Amino acid sequence: MIDFSMYEQKEPEVNAYKCPECGTLYYPAPMICHNCDARRDPSGVIFPEWEKVPFGGKCKLLTWTRVYALPEGYDIKYLLFGIVQFENGLRASGRLLADDPETGMELFGRAGVIKEKDGKDIYGFMFDMPE
Amino acid sequence: MRKVAIVGIGHTVFGNLSDFDLVDIMGFASANALEDAGILKDRKIIDQVFVANMGGGIINHQTGIASALVSRIDLEPAMAELVENGPASGASAVKLGYMAIASGMVDVVMVTGGELMRTVTGWKGTDFVATLQHPEAEYNYGLTLPAFGGMFTRMYMEKYGLTERELAMVAVKDHENGAKNPFAHVQIPCTLEAIHDSENAHVINNYIAEPLRLYGMCPVSDGAATLILCAADSPKMKYFGRKEPIYISGIGAATDTHCVHNRKEPLILNAVRISAERAFSMAGLTPSDISFAELHDAFVILELAISEDVGFFERGGARAAIINGTTRIDGSLPINTSGGLKSKGHPLGATGVSQIFELVKQLRGEAEKGRQVKNPKHGMAVNFGGFGNNVVSTICSKE
Repeated sequence: MIDFSMYEQKEPEVNAYKCPECGTLYYPAPMICHNCDARRDPSGVIFPEWEKVPFGGKCKLLTWTRVYALPEGYDIKYLLFGIVQFENGLRASGRLLADDPETGMELFGRAGVIKEKDGKDIYGFMFDMPE
Repeated sequence: MRKVAIVGIGHTVFGNLSDFDLVDIMGFASANALEDAGILKDRKIIDQVFVANMGGGIINHQTGIASALVSRIDLEPAMAELVENGPASGASAVKLGYMAIASGMVDVVMVTGGELMRTVTGWKGTDFVATLQHPEAEYNYGLTLPAFGGMFTRMYMEKYGLTERELAMVAVKDHENGAKNPFAHVQIPCTLEAIHDSENAHVINNYIAEPLRLYGMCPVSDGAATLILCAADSPKMKYFGRKEPIYISGIGAATDTHCVHNRKEPLILNAVRISAERAFSMAGLTPSDISFAELHDAFVILELAISEDVGFFERGGARAAIINGTTRIDGSLPINTSGGLKSKGHPLGATGVSQIFELVKQLRGEAEKGRQVKNPKHGMAVNFGGFGNNVVSTICSKE
């Protein structure tokens, strides 16, 4: 039976993917593990789908920018973006909410609505000041 | 492998050509190259056509572009295919042309790259280019190529102490060259006073993706460029006596992670480094043999970073090169003699072909007054796709 629920966004999370053979974490998901060559099957038919591991939390800002020339669909003056490194070593790009960012600062990464597409909320990383 | 000669070159002006049709501008550059090669009447000797284009299907709502071009310039029954490799489509198409000849499958290839981007709004164009990023982990956020250019620039500035003034010096140098290039999109020189030093400089040189300003970015351009390649050992070389042949002595490509954040050392452009190593190895040359270079400065920081990853300067050393004038037209290693993407413009599919057009022009000694390199022997072009995830390096030589 085809599981159509895979097309629905279920929870506001950003997931890393865990290789079932060696445990290496990835974001976003590859099709072959760089470390042990284990394969991933998104349909779960031939091989089990890799475990989704919600991640976020404390992270460090590696670099950032404030962009004024935004693509179609963003009707605001500017957006801030950053690349961070989490405590588990994973890195991610995302939306930066800190007002006055500085490279190296501690931030907190959580899932938030980054876009609406076809009436659905799309979730991704928001990097904000730690509470 | 067979030696491959570039025997004809053609170009349109780069700029706003939105009143024209994509295939017409490609056809115009192609016809210019046929004329330059001296085979306008004998054009049916062309065996194969490779067309480089990134966005025809998305922004011009046109597909089957290679077939359309062949028909537009009466080149049937030549074989024809489209090559899409993002902003590096042009050099990829040249690489495939090289491979087709070197393998012995064909003798004469025409490579035309073109793009018509100004038919859509800037917002739509920015969105279209951003589609080459990872859809889930980058594109969905509203991230763009300039955003990555800005973040890369910040890392470089913080690591090597590069200043905004020094970045502006790259733009000034490129515009100085572009102002003398009749094909350049922006044929206007600019001064440090105007874009940085004056207290009102920020008005005309505002931030686009901090710390990159307007003059740190290439314009959005339309245009096309063409090369005609022939096997040096082919009897068909007899058709091409009109101009001095220039040879492709080395060509290499390499890829890197799709997501920029997954690079261990985000300041090292691995695909640039490896593609250049492959090109140098094939040519039997080293960076010190190169007389001048065309480097993909979609953002001025890339001119500096690519020049280091290629091996022209040590890491962080490009800063001194721009300050000392090493890369000016009268310096020891002129870079972006055409004006680069910064001044000449960046019609995505055309850019890689246009860079090699410039190598040929310089090596033939045909560059305009004030921007001709003295006695060049080897020129190098680096065409940068994505944010460095697919790069093609090409070396052209007089012999």
